[in-house]
Amino acid sequence: MSDDSQVVPVGAVDLGLAPVDTVAVRQGAFGASGSGDTSGFGGLVRPIEMPGASEKPYGGYFDELTEELELALADAGLPAESAIEKVVVDRGELTLYVRREHLLAVAQELRDEPGLRFEVCHSVSGVHYPADTDRELHSVVQLLSMTHRRRIRLEVTCPESDQHIPSLTDVWASADWHERETWDMFGIIFDGHPAMTRILMPDDWPGHPQRKDYPLGGIPVEYKGATIPAPDQRRSYN
Amino acid sequence: MGLEEQLPSGVLLTSVEKLAGYARKSSMWPATFGLACCAIEMMATGAGRYDLARFGMEVFRGSPRQADLMIVAGRVSNKMAPVLRQVYDQMPGPKWVIAMGVCASSGGMFNNYAIVQGVDHIVPVDIYLPGCPPRPEMLMDAILTLHEQVQDAKLGANRTRQVGELEQAALQAPATIEMRGLLR
Amino acid sequence: MNVYFPILILGLLAFGFAIFSVTVAGFTGPKRYNRARLDAYECGIQPTPMRIGGGRFPVKYYLTAMSFIIFDIELVFLYPWAVVFDKLGIFGLVAMLLFLFNLIVVYGYEWARGGLEWD
Repeated sequence: MSDDSQVVPVGAVDLGLAPVDTVAVRQGAFGASGSGDTSGFGGLVRPIEMPGASEKPYGGYFDELTEELELALADAGLPAESAIEKVVVDRGELTLYVRREHLLAVAQELRDEPGLRFEVCHSVSGVHYPADTDRELHSVVQLLSMTHRRRIRLEVTCPESDQHIPSLTDVWASADWHERETWDMFGIIFDGHPAMTRILMPDDWPGHPQRKDYPLGGIPVEYKGATIPAPDQRRSYN
Repeated sequence: MGLEEQLPSGVLLTSVEKLAGYARKSSMWPATFGLACCAIEMMATGAGRYDLARFGMEVFRGSPRQADLMIVAGRVSNKMAPVLRQVYDQMPGPKWVIAMGVCASSGGMFNNYAIVQGVDHIVPVDIYLPGCPPRPEMLMDAILTLHEQVQDAKLGANRTRQVGELEQAALQAPATIEMRGLLR
Repeated sequence: MNVYFPILILGLLAFGFAIFSVTVAGFTGPKRYNRARLDAYECGIQPTPMRIGGGRFPVKYYLTAMSFIIFDIELVFLYPWAVVFDKLGIFGLVAMLLFLFNLIVVYGYEWARGGLEWD
């Protein structure tokens, strides 16, 4: 898939209902762009929108949760505004954007505080937003509290120039292999991880496959008398 | 085989070929190489309804050292490729390979950085079996085709002659890209 | 002729067949070695090198083996007693209880000293 996204100034767009952040705007699709292309895909303009920051009250158990967390962080000597950048409530799910310097403190409080008790970290994965300068790589941590039956998501960002995020293996041992996978696929280096090696690709593989600028890597398929190019090389009308 | 290949070509060698072919095909032991979804169909073929035991093949050996046949069932990733080659190398001859499913035959629906586009990039394949996944009846058809091939296989001097003929035919045959026109 | 004579013949035949198979295969078979065939089989990955003496073992395996021996021998004495238990009466019961009491003291000692902790 050819890269057709353009940078649009990031800001909250008011749709009247919920705040929305436009991350990028994609022009054209399937390799076609501009006019002269009869499929019509060339004129397609599609903004990529992520849900924006929400305001209190969040609804459900989210208010209680965020209050507990703010109190716990204040007790630990960390004001909540410096640790948590943004709180997003969308479709019944809570996402906390945490600054990477304070990630370990927030994680420790989430795990140990009796009112929070997020014992299970069942996923650490990555996202790549190439248009979002200085916040290109995100690491998304999904947490589950068995005692209180709650779920929460932490999102930590880092720029491509300095792709380091503190590792959560000291807090939750299950983050170990997930962080290896995130390193393998996105290139985010987790500081403090016991064994940061590739887990899905062979050990000497160059590049990080799930980044947006990594090609699909297919080969042309040979039929009798013709070859068909790989899926991301097809349908170019230029 | 050591002793049989020293025999001179003639009636004796032909009879030995037939006997050896019969013995090899009727108790061919597969090595378990189920990687993905095709493995489920392979297990179903070995189970009660589509029985592989009637062909002498219900013993799926865990160790390649006791196996004749490697059924590569499923997609082979780039990380799995050296493992597959090592297991193939550790099988004693004579050995055969069935590429089961489209992923093993040609990379299947996965034309990307992670999947080897056909297991014949790594090991020599005797039978390619398309399907996603192939039904148990299709796998049995592939196995029976292989059995016929094994029954008709030549030994010793006959085999060297046959290899020479096959090589000449392959050198004269047109390349795949040159075969144009309507093929029905 | 002794009744068990055919079993001896069968045993000799089986033994002989096994020896015959291995030695004749060694002569008549081809010797096509490659490096993978000479390697140990480790599910297709490169095998890790063998350590001297099999490597260092945690001592808990030794303790488990010793405990097993002791309690297994105790079981060996318990089984025949259990079979003729009703014919032995009170005397048999008291004798066995004294034997068991000795072993319960041993068991209590091992428990208190942490011999049953696996970690």
